[in-house]
Amino acid sequence: MSFANSWALWGCLAALLPILIHLFDRRRARPLPFAAITFVLQSQRRTASRLRLKRILLYTLRTLVFLCVPLALARPSCTPESAAAAQTRGPAATAIVLDTSLSMRTRADGTPIFEAAIEEARRALADLRPEEPATLVTCGGQEALPGPPDFDRAGMRTRLDGLEEAGYLHADLNRCLDAAARALEESPLPGRRLVVISDFAAHGLRLEAPPPVVSDGEGGHIQPEVVLRPVGSDPAPGNAAVTRVQVAPATQAGPGTFELTATVRNASPEALSDTELSLQIDGHVVAKAFLDVPAGGTVNKALVHRFEQTGVVSGALALSADALPEDDAHPFVLRVPEPVRVLVINGAPAAQRFADELFFLEPALTTQGGPVRATFRDSFAGLSEQLGEVDVVVLANVAAPDAGTVETLRTFVEGGGGLWITMGDQVDPEAYNAAFGSLLPRNLRDVRTAAERGDQDAEARAGRLTQLDREHPLLRPFVGRAAEGLETARFYRYMLFEGGVEGSRVLAAFQDGAPALVVGRRGEGRVALYASTVDRDWADLALSTAFLPLVQRLSAYLGGDLDTREAPSVQVGERLTLAVPEGQRVGTVEGPMADVPVRATEEARVEVGPLTVPGLYGVKDGDGQALPALSFSAFLGSEESDLRRVPLEDLQRWFGEEKVTTSGLDTPAREVPVWTWLLVIAALALFGEGLLLRR
Amino acid sequence: MALLDAQTLARLAGVRLRARAVMEGVLSGQHKSPHQGQSVEFAEHKEYAPGDELRHMDWKAYGKFDRYYVKRFEHETNLRAALVVDASASMDYRSGALFKLEVASTLAGALAYLLVRQQDAVGVTLLADGGAREIPARASAGHLNVVLDALEQVKPGGTADLLVAADRVAESLRGRALVCVFSDLFDTREGALERILSLRHRRNDVAVFQIVDPTELDFPFDDPTRFLSMEDTRFIEANPRELRESYLESFHAFLESTRRSCAEAGADYERVRTDEPLDQVLLRFLARRQRRRG
Repeated sequence: MSFANSWALWGCLAALLPILIHLFDRRRARPLPFAAITFVLQSQRRTASRLRLKRILLYTLRTLVFLCVPLALARPSCTPESAAAAQTRGPAATAIVLDTSLSMRTRADGTPIFEAAIEEARRALADLRPEEPATLVTCGGQEALPGPPDFDRAGMRTRLDGLEEAGYLHADLNRCLDAAARALEESPLPGRRLVVISDFAAHGLRLEAPPPVVSDGEGGHIQPEVVLRPVGSDPAPGNAAVTRVQVAPATQAGPGTFELTATVRNASPEALSDTELSLQIDGHVVAKAFLDVPAGGTVNKALVHRFEQTGVVSGALALSADALPEDDAHPFVLRVPEPVRVLVINGAPAAQRFADELFFLEPALTTQGGPVRATFRDSFAGLSEQLGEVDVVVLANVAAPDAGTVETLRTFVEGGGGLWITMGDQVDPEAYNAAFGSLLPRNLRDVRTAAERGDQDAEARAGRLTQLDREHPLLRPFVGRAAEGLETARFYRYMLFEGGVEGSRVLAAFQDGAPALVVGRRGEGRVALYASTVDRDWADLALSTAFLPLVQRLSAYLGGDLDTREAPSVQVGERLTLAVPEGQRVGTVEGPMADVPVRATEEARVEVGPLTVPGLYGVKDGDGQALPALSFSAFLGSEESDLRRVPLEDLQRWFGEEKVTTSGLDTPAREVPVWTWLLVIAALALFGEGLLLRR
Repeated sequence: MALLDAQTLARLAGVRLRARAVMEGVLSGQHKSPHQGQSVEFAEHKEYAPGDELRHMDWKAYGKFDRYYVKRFEHETNLRAALVVDASASMDYRSGALFKLEVASTLAGALAYLLVRQQDAVGVTLLADGGAREIPARASAGHLNVVLDALEQVKPGGTADLLVAADRVAESLRGRALVCVFSDLFDTREGALERILSLRHRRNDVAVFQIVDPTELDFPFDDPTRFLSMEDTRFIEANPRELRESYLESFHAFLESTRRSCAEAGADYERVRTDEPLDQVLLRFLARRQRRRG
């Protein structure tokens, strides 16, 4: 007999109530002189035996009620087979393998099945005979090797009491069983027993691997007895999880706008329909979407959100809660940048507005709500003072500057600034090569005229952009119809580039192979060369729909905002190496539940972890000041999200059928629940008491 | 006619006042004498026996039948009444305004008033502590005070022995009389009631007033109670709810048995609740006697 809620047994003391009330009533009987006592005595004599019987029956029925109800609340059940089997076997060293992996957090009736597993472990411990040593093997992904079996029952109970909840890691049950079998080899007893308490999810077991065996000390192996104590419902409940979150800037949709893409996996045997996916920022739902996910399938769903504030933002993409709510939310940390400050030097200003070099570029950079704050100059006057206030400098068809200006620009770029050079009539290749030298990612060679505007075949002969590098964050959004603007633009004239500097990359080229857009890193900054003009003189890209997003994204890229948006993220169970900015020092890393170990590995780098809990992690320096730029998130691995179980028959076959017995809370064939009968008895007793009272 | 309920009577101090109040509420009655004696109205013949008065010899009948007959006559005369009042401890019980003994004494006193007022002779026998105290029957107005004093001063206690009471009354009565018994009749010994009723065989009128308290009739107790005997040391601890049905059955059977015994013996029977108007009780009693005598 075992009890699911043993605390309720205290309620059995209520069975004393009827007797106590009877004794209390006897004590408070009031005396009354009564003339007709002869008739009272006669009545008492006549009814005494009947009353005594009735009273005994009443007390019995009431006691039954007060006994049965708390007993039923304690949810007793009988395990006759396992008890009998345990008695017939000889003493055996026992290893109790307790699954503490993430899937043990699955809820059954609102309660994690891990609680039932702990109860099973306590029961397994109680079932041991005094002469049987035992060891407890927790299997949660990060355990040390178990010790040999001993008789420290109290120690094991204390360990069980300390296991308040399951972990967040994936557990390899095969490895745990092997470790438990090795621990059993330490015992001199001939009998060896493995008690396995788990949900037996398929992800944790490899049945193609050999079952655990124990060395007999003579070079051979014996199979231990195995007692399976499954917990959780069978079949397992369906489960969906957000397995991945990708964050990408969506500057085309405005400043501070990001596209957050969740990868949702449905590990259920049934398709999910209209499942809610929500974007939560600082605990508030700011966007929602609804998904249909096929059974066993995976879908990606993107949510676009514009963040009003800049700086570090933390949040999660979350599904509506299911049986395993832990994997329904995927945390992330991102940094929302300030608008890119751009200084444009106009090399070909004109009195007539439409003839000005910036006729198209200026409105593209000053779009209401755009990610760019641009200022425009016609000369380099005061450049050095202005560079302290900008992130990117655009030289739009500017004649080669003097050496001092170039040096100023070089210092600006190597210190992290961006430089974008566009071509035009004012650009002399030789003068540029001489002036900028190695600052350019390519040398300028000559201007090529593909067609003259107005020629009959100009349309056919004009250059077209091909070979777009969509792997690069700058051009990543230009796919499908979004790319049409780039691909249909006509280039009548363009600058040919030559040579190649290490670290430069061609993002777009014409159909003749000539680079159209080249980017390169110089020091901490970036330089971009665009082979044509930003007005209509050489090309009509400025008229295409792709012009505005291209200009804005190029500005953002050069300003360093396209590749530094998403904070580092790491899977639970792993370690994370953080790059510490110069002049800062990492003191502590605060996790969702506790501080995380930090270890300096090399200069300006620290290793954090292992990280055992999913969620958001904040970093503080040695003085306790928060370093929000170093915040990061930890997410769960996806293995444990598939809750499907290994059939017990397969397990028995794997362990060896003659060696396996099965027990546990959720194996009705083995467990005989008694509490329902107790409730029936209590109801009958109440009914009987009512009948007796009426008579 | 004013009805005198128990509450009103309880406010009157003493048996004398209460009895008078009851009496005044009752119409005076005519009593037809059952005695033969000095009267001009011939009743019947009786064969002569030694000791009969020779002056009543009917010589004419002797001439006709050659036998000696003595004439017997019926005439109006005073009634002789014996009031037997139970003053045992069980009569010292009340749940309302009046003790059972007070009811018995009041009824007896009122009856004494009525009888003396009609020149009838009244005697009282008080039963207490297992014995009996007698006051012989007389018809004088002064004797009424003696009777009322005795009723007023009687103290309840002990048991009432109806067997002794019957014997004493039988001894004291000369000729036919009205015997009124005021008691709860809880002397349940074999033959006690029968001995009282046997007085009827001597051609006496017997009237039994059985005094009962409402709680004895209804047994309205609920809480666990320790019932104590009022006449001896018996007690019982019981849950009244469990016993009520059986008690009521026993008690009402006892009342019915008493009533039936009285009826079979030709005695009047009045069940008197201590909470009912006593003048009504007497009226009921007198009316029934009136009907019986035609």
